Amino acid sequence: MALRDAVILDYAETKITDKGGRDVWELGAEVLENLIAKVGLDKKEIDGMIVNAASIGAGNNFWSQTTADYLGLELDFCQSLDIGGCSATGAVVRAAAAIEAGLCQVMLLLFADAAGARAPRARTFHGEWTQPHGLLGPPTAFGLITRRYEHQFGLDYRALGKLAVTQREHALLNDNACDKLRVPITIDDYMNSRMIAEPIRLLDSVMPCDGANGLIMMSRTMAKARGVARFAVIEGYGERTNYQSDQPVVDVTKTGHAAAGARAFAASGLSPRDVASFHPYDDFIIAIMMQLEMLGFCKHGQGCDFIRDTDFGLAGDLPLNTGGGQISAGQPGLAGGGTNLIEAVRQLFGEAGPRQIKNTRNAMITGIGGIPYIRNWASSVALILAPDA
Amino acid sequence: MTMPNDTLGVPRPDVAPYSFSRPFWEATREKKVVIQYCRGSGRYQFYPRPTSIYTGTRDLEWREVSGRGTIFSYTVVQRAPETFRGHEPYILGAVTLDVGVNVMADIVHCDLDRIRVGLPVVPFWAPLPNGTHLLLFQPAPTP
Repeated sequence: MALRDAVILDYAETKITDKGGRDVWELGAEVLENLIAKVGLDKKEIDGMIVNAASIGAGNNFWSQTTADYLGLELDFCQSLDIGGCSATGAVVRAAAAIEAGLCQVMLLLFADAAGARAPRARTFHGEWTQPHGLLGPPTAFGLITRRYEHQFGLDYRALGKLAVTQREHALLNDNACDKLRVPITIDDYMNSRMIAEPIRLLDSVMPCDGANGLIMMSRTMAKARGVARFAVIEGYGERTNYQSDQPVVDVTKTGHAAAGARAFAASGLSPRDVASFHPYDDFIIAIMMQLEMLGFCKHGQGCDFIRDTDFGLAGDLPLNTGGGQISAGQPGLAGGGTNLIEAVRQLFGEAGPRQIKNTRNAMITGIGGIPYIRNWASSVALILAPDA
Repeated sequence: MTMPNDTLGVPRPDVAPYSFSRPFWEATREKKVVIQYCRGSGRYQFYPRPTSIYTGTRDLEWREVSGRGTIFSYTVVQRAPETFRGHEPYILGAVTLDVGVNVMADIVHCDLDRIRVGLPVVPFWAPLPNGTHLLLFQPAPTP
């Protein structure tokens, strides 16, 4: 595929906190400062920026401009991306396309949010069609999806618990994970955690947090000219928004990852068994299983069997969200799509310290964005990265 | 036997429709269910949209339907958003109407032992301050 000329030079991330009290732009500034230091950039070299549409920024129709102004950036390319939990992963290919097209040379990808604060009401279908019925956003929507999955295929909740426990073990080794979540859990703890929207439990769910993360991308030629020792490249990518949008009643156990994953694998020449580590977007535990099915790691409806048969640990068959995922590291609002992305890059660079995995030939990262009306989710992305030098 | 909350004690403000969804809400004044019908494809769609999701044209009309359906999925809400706090547990369901569209709504007057995917339901109308009604569902009377 195209998009192979632009590379990821480096990453940075703040600690994820539960209502840490630091402003979203202060969090962003920490990431910018770290990226400048790590890459050895002069700030003036940054001439492009993509930011996520942040929940804290809702109501500001000039979000990317304002953010650039607060950070003192003069840019030739400036945009905000609003596909929810897909914004970070989706930004990587948009950055690559912009760099290849010559729109800018050094791209800052900055994902920051402070989810603890209240956002103004957005213009969506929710005001008219879900809020009058008491939908508590994502947990309730995933309650409907989970119940339907159980109806169609049956569900082994202890298998889902295994994923929760594995991710928690990984978060224990991640100093950037939210401290509140860095306590060990067992499958029984998962099973006994209180119901939020039956059958969704507390330990199925992400905790909205504050935090920021980001990347620097530039052309391969420029990176080589700077004498960069290691970088990561795009091997494959797929994206799908509003999967089956022209169907009035859809199978909510199927997701756009079927389409996005097929494109990503085709571009990379890889298949699911070649994936060295898996960094799926995790807002709810069952979403990990549904993605395993839709991406082709196992058949539709057989996710629980696959989970029981697979070791997702750091030394296992398919290391899963090695930093703990959002569910065990905390979800920094709509910057959350960057959490597992940054961890994947860190692993490819061999810089994950006590949680470093051995097989760094590639990494698969996904995104999930938006809660639609009685469907699965609005946007699905799948990205395969590989190290290069 | 555990009867969940019917949510009828929740203070619900009027719903603000968009220009293209207003006919749905106007019909609820008379407790009628009207659904958008695409003349080009011969199919229904919900929620209301400014265009046909099938053809991209605006060749749409509103048709009154029975409002009968079956439970597509449901969740028992144990932690509610602020306006519903204190009314837990309640059942929030997705209902497949007999014209082939899914509608999200609270399911009322339904014992927790009785709710299941596939359960037949009929409309139950919750009044709103301006004289329109919110479409909820309750189990269909057993024949």
